[in-house]
Amino acid sequence: MPGELLLDRPERISYAFVDNGKTYSTVVGLYHEGKLVPLEGPYEPLPEDYIVGIVNEVKFSGYSVDINAPFPAYLSSREIRERYAMSDTILAKIALVDEVRSIELVDAKKLPAGRLVKVSSVKIPRIIGKKNSMIDMIKAATTCDIFAGRNGYVWITGSGNATLAEKAIRMIEAQAHTKGLTDRVSVYLKEAKQ
Amino acid sequence: MQLNGDIMGGSAANKMPLLVGGKRVDGRGVEDLRNIKIVARVLNDADGSAYIEWGKNKILAGVYGPSECIPRHDQSLYRAVVKCRYSMAPFSGMEEHGRSGPNRRSKELSKVIKEAFENVIVSENFPKTQIEVYLEVLQSDGGTRCAAVTAAAVALADAGIPMKDMINAVAVCKIDGEMAVDPGKEEDNFGESDMPIAFSPRTGEVLLFQMDGLLTKDELERGFSLARSASDKIRQLQVDAIKKVYDEPREERFLVISK
Repeated sequence: MPGELLLDRPERISYAFVDNGKTYSTVVGLYHEGKLVPLEGPYEPLPEDYIVGIVNEVKFSGYSVDINAPFPAYLSSREIRERYAMSDTILAKIALVDEVRSIELVDAKKLPAGRLVKVSSVKIPRIIGKKNSMIDMIKAATTCDIFAGRNGYVWITGSGNATLAEKAIRMIEAQAHTKGLTDRVSVYLKEAKQ
Repeated sequence: MQLNGDIMGGSAANKMPLLVGGKRVDGRGVEDLRNIKIVARVLNDADGSAYIEWGKNKILAGVYGPSECIPRHDQSLYRAVVKCRYSMAPFSGMEEHGRSGPNRRSKELSKVIKEAFENVIVSENFPKTQIEVYLEVLQSDGGTRCAAVTAAAVALADAGIPMKDMINAVAVCKIDGEMAVDPGKEEDNFGESDMPIAFSPRTGEVLLFQMDGLLTKDELERGFSLARSASDKIRQLQVDAIKKVYDEPREERFLVISK
């Protein structure tokens, strides 16, 4: 909880702050062994993140891309060989985030037709799972192709059961903080198939 | 707001007593809060939201952001800009609110609420952005600004916006010469003094403080101690509301109207 005491000594922990020699939380999160994991929050872009973005402006020498961050991202035409139109969905890597939070993208690739599921970016590690276990399970059960961008945009494509994939992702989003989720999702997918 | 006395029994000379044998008009003692219910995460498309029922007050809070700040001349290169809009629905109950929209009162409240939150939001993390807080009063019964601050803090925490504390507010009043916590509409209108205060429970700092009427220094101190202990109770309700979102996860977010 914001303002809740974590430690009686000052320590640098992300999403926490130090006041008067004590460490307090700034977010609703789970604290475990010196690590505070937020349960909700805006996407904070980091270099090397793979993201799913939507082209929202075609500029003279590049594209402005919505990546679900508080700041717009820029993709230069130099970095790509394709051409995009407005509202195209792309997969890209963040190359650089500077002090004033300008974001540059590289390695862009247009995604095939599909549907976009917007979730909170803090739930993405749960959707992917340990060593891709969760997302591979959904892919296998629905025969869809799924791209989970680190920014919270999930792109579902292919000829499989996209509705089921979306429902499974929504289920993970709602229960991301609970234990034994992979097993429950596995049961859910099996039941839905029958 | 001063009514001309028809409702509450005429002029000051024959006004109805607000405190009889330690009991107030609605049967509470001087240290009792009204019934408070908070539900977090009630809107699908807001980043964070909360609904509060505080006595007969009903307020919905929605939070968006941080997002790119528009218009750009409002931007700061160093921090996120906090924007707040408090507004009363035309049906919310106070007589002169025949039409909604910005008026002098709601602009004042938007400003004081915004300034309270500017002190706790860690805005340095999000330069060039804005954080919007929308507060809609659906039904009012005295103390809406305090209820609005309380709901907005829950909505901001639900949105995952980093804050140094989850704040809340409560008013105290002077009725028939005695200090009491959380005045209702009658006590607000016909009491001697009314004083809303917002606290940061972690540090005890005062983030919003307004006063109507007059108080002596002793009364002020008594009012503050009443408000502080009430604030601790409200904080617990806020924490419970947030916890409930995760204890009983729902895929759809919706507003549950209480029975």
